[in-house]
Amino acid sequence: MTPPYDPGDVVEVVRAPEPGGVGGAYRAFGETLRGLKTTFKRFVEKPVTVEYPEEKYPVYPRFRGRHKLHRFEDTGLEKCVGCSLCAAACPADCIRVVAAENDPEHRVSAGERYAAVYEINLSRCIFCGYCEVACPFDAITMGHDYELSDYDRSDLIFTKEMLLAEPLERTPLRREGE
Amino acid sequence: MPRPEIKMITFSIDGREVQAPENTMLVDAAKYGDVEIPVFCYEPKLGQPVGACRMCLVEIEGIPKLQTACSTPVKDGMVVHTQTQRVHEAQEAVVEFLLLNHPLDCPVCDKGGECPLQDISFGWGGGRSRFVEPKRHFQKPLELSPLIAIDRERCILCYRCVRYSQEVSEDYQLVLQERGAASYVATFDGHPYVAPFSGNIVELCPVGALTSKPYRFRARPWDIEGAGTVCTMCPGQCNVTLTVRDDRVLRVLARDHEEVDDGWLCDRGRFAYQSFHVDERITSPLVRVDGELRPVPWDHALDVAADALKRAGGAVGALAGGGTTNEEGFLLQRIAREALGSPHLDSQRAPVDRRSLLAIGDPGLQATVPDIEYAHAVLVLDTEPVDEMAILDLRIRKGVRRRRVRLAVASARPSALDGNAALSVRFAPGGGPAFAAELVAAARGEAASDDARAVVDLLRGAGEDVVIVASERVGAALAALADALGLRDRDGAGLIVVPSSANGRGLREVGVLPDAGPGLAPVARPGLHAAEMARAGAEGELTAFWLHGVDPLRDLPYRERWEQALDRATDVIAHAAFLTEGIREHATVVFPVEAYAEKDGTLTHPDGRLQRVRPGIGLQGRNRYGWQVLADLGRRLGLELRVLTAGMALAEVAAAVPFYAGLTQDEIGGRGIRWQEREAASAYPRPEGLPDLAAPTVREGAGLRLGTFRSIWASPEVEHSPALRFLVPRQRVEMAPADADRLGLGDGQRVVVSANGSRVEATVTLRHAVPAGSVFLQDGLVRDAANTLTGSVVEIRPAVTSEVAG
Repeated sequence: MTPPYDPGDVVEVVRAPEPGGVGGAYRAFGETLRGLKTTFKRFVEKPVTVEYPEEKYPVYPRFRGRHKLHRFEDTGLEKCVGCSLCAAACPADCIRVVAAENDPEHRVSAGERYAAVYEINLSRCIFCGYCEVACPFDAITMGHDYELSDYDRSDLIFTKEMLLAEPLERTPLRREGE
Repeated sequence: MPRPEIKMITFSIDGREVQAPENTMLVDAAKYGDVEIPVFCYEPKLGQPVGACRMCLVEIEGIPKLQTACSTPVKDGMVVHTQTQRVHEAQEAVVEFLLLNHPLDCPVCDKGGECPLQDISFGWGGGRSRFVEPKRHFQKPLELSPLIAIDRERCILCYRCVRYSQEVSEDYQLVLQERGAASYVATFDGHPYVAPFSGNIVELCPVGALTSKPYRFRARPWDIEGAGTVCTMCPGQCNVTLTVRDDRVLRVLARDHEEVDDGWLCDRGRFAYQSFHVDERITSPLVRVDGELRPVPWDHALDVAADALKRAGGAVGALAGGGTTNEEGFLLQRIAREALGSPHLDSQRAPVDRRSLLAIGDPGLQATVPDIEYAHAVLVLDTEPVDEMAILDLRIRKGVRRRRVRLAVASARPSALDGNAALSVRFAPGGGPAFAAELVAAARGEAASDDARAVVDLLRGAGEDVVIVASERVGAALAALADALGLRDRDGAGLIVVPSSANGRGLREVGVLPDAGPGLAPVARPGLHAAEMARAGAEGELTAFWLHGVDPLRDLPYRERWEQALDRATDVIAHAAFLTEGIREHATVVFPVEAYAEKDGTLTHPDGRLQRVRPGIGLQGRNRYGWQVLADLGRRLGLELRVLTAGMALAEVAAAVPFYAGLTQDEIGGRGIRWQEREAASAYPRPEGLPDLAAPTVREGAGLRLGTFRSIWASPEVEHSPALRFLVPRQRVEMAPADADRLGLGDGQRVVVSANGSRVEATVTLRHAVPAGSVFLQDGLVRDAANTLTGSVVEIRPAVTSEVAG
């Protein structure tokens, strides 16, 4: 049989110790203890699993969770103008925008136009973040919340009010160096 | 002018040899070689190119400077380059210039996603701007009219809208104010741009400067679907594309069909879609219980209607109008004739007998709509195109302006086309048939009035190809006139007969006439026409009325008689979309009628083109298809009908009308087909001679002669479209200043117009063009409509203030 590689001129064959004697004893206890060393080392360490849902795994800052709509901090107006670009970019077709014209007396957004209806069907959303990329006004961003399960599919259609509302701080953010 | 011959030439574009028709502009010729040249201002529909935007610059060998492809006709052997460095640099520079003052507010702009400026900036622009200075600012958004919003910051000054207003619709309202960078589009003195065809500028605008107010911010191109169909609001039957979102029509766009509408729409066609989705629409069958119309299940309403019709039997008077399709009209007449044994059917406003209809519908005498453009002369006889078949108005203007068609207008009421006409003559109101008879006499060289001779001389002098656009009520004389002028079997010449309802031609060809069955075949027992039905109803001879898309109180003359007839009738079964007065007060059963966006069926254009109306949205509420309702009624009345789909209904029509033989929905397709061009046209019945041409009638009485007209805006669809409501007409009496002086009346004064004890209130409108001795009132209004008056000679006196208040 030819070896699969070129072994060179000198071939050294390492053989296992003969059964019995010192070699046999080492084989019976030494290697076992070596294995147990790992076991005992882990035994004194803290557990790596988390007790979900009492305890949550922190997410990275760029984690793409549930969407958030934003308002301008100074004026309180919605940043979204209802341009529907997010709906155009959405590969899952889960965003529905119906725009309307602003009433100068009671402005909703800064421009002429605002989103009268803004709905995201989160049961369809694939959390790709294209909506965030498409948005020309940074009005929609991906938040950190990933706890979205519900008992009814229709409850997963998030309306503009739900998306604008400050989400419950349910998900810890991973800190620097964590 | 006859159509020019097309000569093909060969030229080279981007190194490829391409065949194109000679003298087409390079932009269009390039398309024959699959080369796209970007344009903003170029739009062939607007006439001669202006080369205003400079986007289409190309390099032509032998010419040192770059040329605008939109205004350079292609010549044999021309060598054109569109992909050289020079051209690219020029195009980038033009885009940069155009964007200097453009706000780039695409996310807010309504045009975003379907904007040529976006597309061209992306495709041909440099991608960056060196302009850091502040941009030009205007107040925005402003109302250009209640229907159109204008954003002047977005305007790139391509002139399209101004050219449209000046050269296509010829309302001369839009102008460009100021000069240079300060230029802006406006009306001369800032008044709103209100015109019958104003909405077209929204579709023309290549940027978001002109936007439709009703559509403002409703949807983006990726939210919507387009659905092609045909507008059924007037005989023009313009092809449209409905913009549908969430099963609602949000916009109507023109679907360019050169043979029908030339790519334009009137404002009623463009904005009255709003009436499809209003709460006032009937979307459930109603039955009158204890004097009140109540929604009921379909089966109940059908049973009640079938019982009522069965009870009345031969004493049913059936009328069809509005957007009634060929299939519905055919089923209606079949049920009335076969199941009820009633010959009393009509679809016309003024009676024209079968022999006359046969003669004027003859395939040898028919002109097509584009013939208007290419004829030597056009005669508009006793019709006002802008009110009765709006889109023809633009076509006639185009012919006169671009192809120097000689136009003669003969009408009672001053026409909107008078300014374009080489000759306008007036006759007494109601004198259309008599004047046509005089024209025939003049054309045959017999004794006739000077006016008639002048018109015939003008038509003869212009050339052989004459197109006569006339109202259906003129009748038999039209055929005689066409023959006398030698128009029979001439291509590019003939008649276009404007019927009184949107599908008037189709309805008469499928047999909704008192004296003709399907295919204009004679019937054994002729029935009563509409006006006689009213009399018979009032006298108790007819006990039930069956109204399909017609409200006699609104749409037909002799309102008083109709009121008595409907009052006296035991049953009135109506198919209606809105509860107009006659339906609301008198109907015992009301079936909802679909809007044309929901309809499935065919229409026949006045020039013989069969077109399909196809559903763009689902049936609203509990609506059912019209043919289905009629077929259900027919079955309840014991008729064996094999109608389970709209296609089967059309097959029934095609089997019964010899000259429609073999027509299928597939054959009609998206562009329609003229039945005169099919083989089956030879089955058209031979004309059976003409009745005596009407002798000139002289109106008796000392008062003023009353003429009536129905404005384009007088329709329930306009009343129920929020955006159009400002256009709903109110009664005004148009009169000559001389008459007003004599009666001591002034412009704007409230008056009472009375005849034989009937009276309407109106506001005086003085028009110099109105011939003295005639006054004109409007029909089709909610209040004070002209059909309230029972005589044709009226008296006018100032209204007493208390009467105005009432």
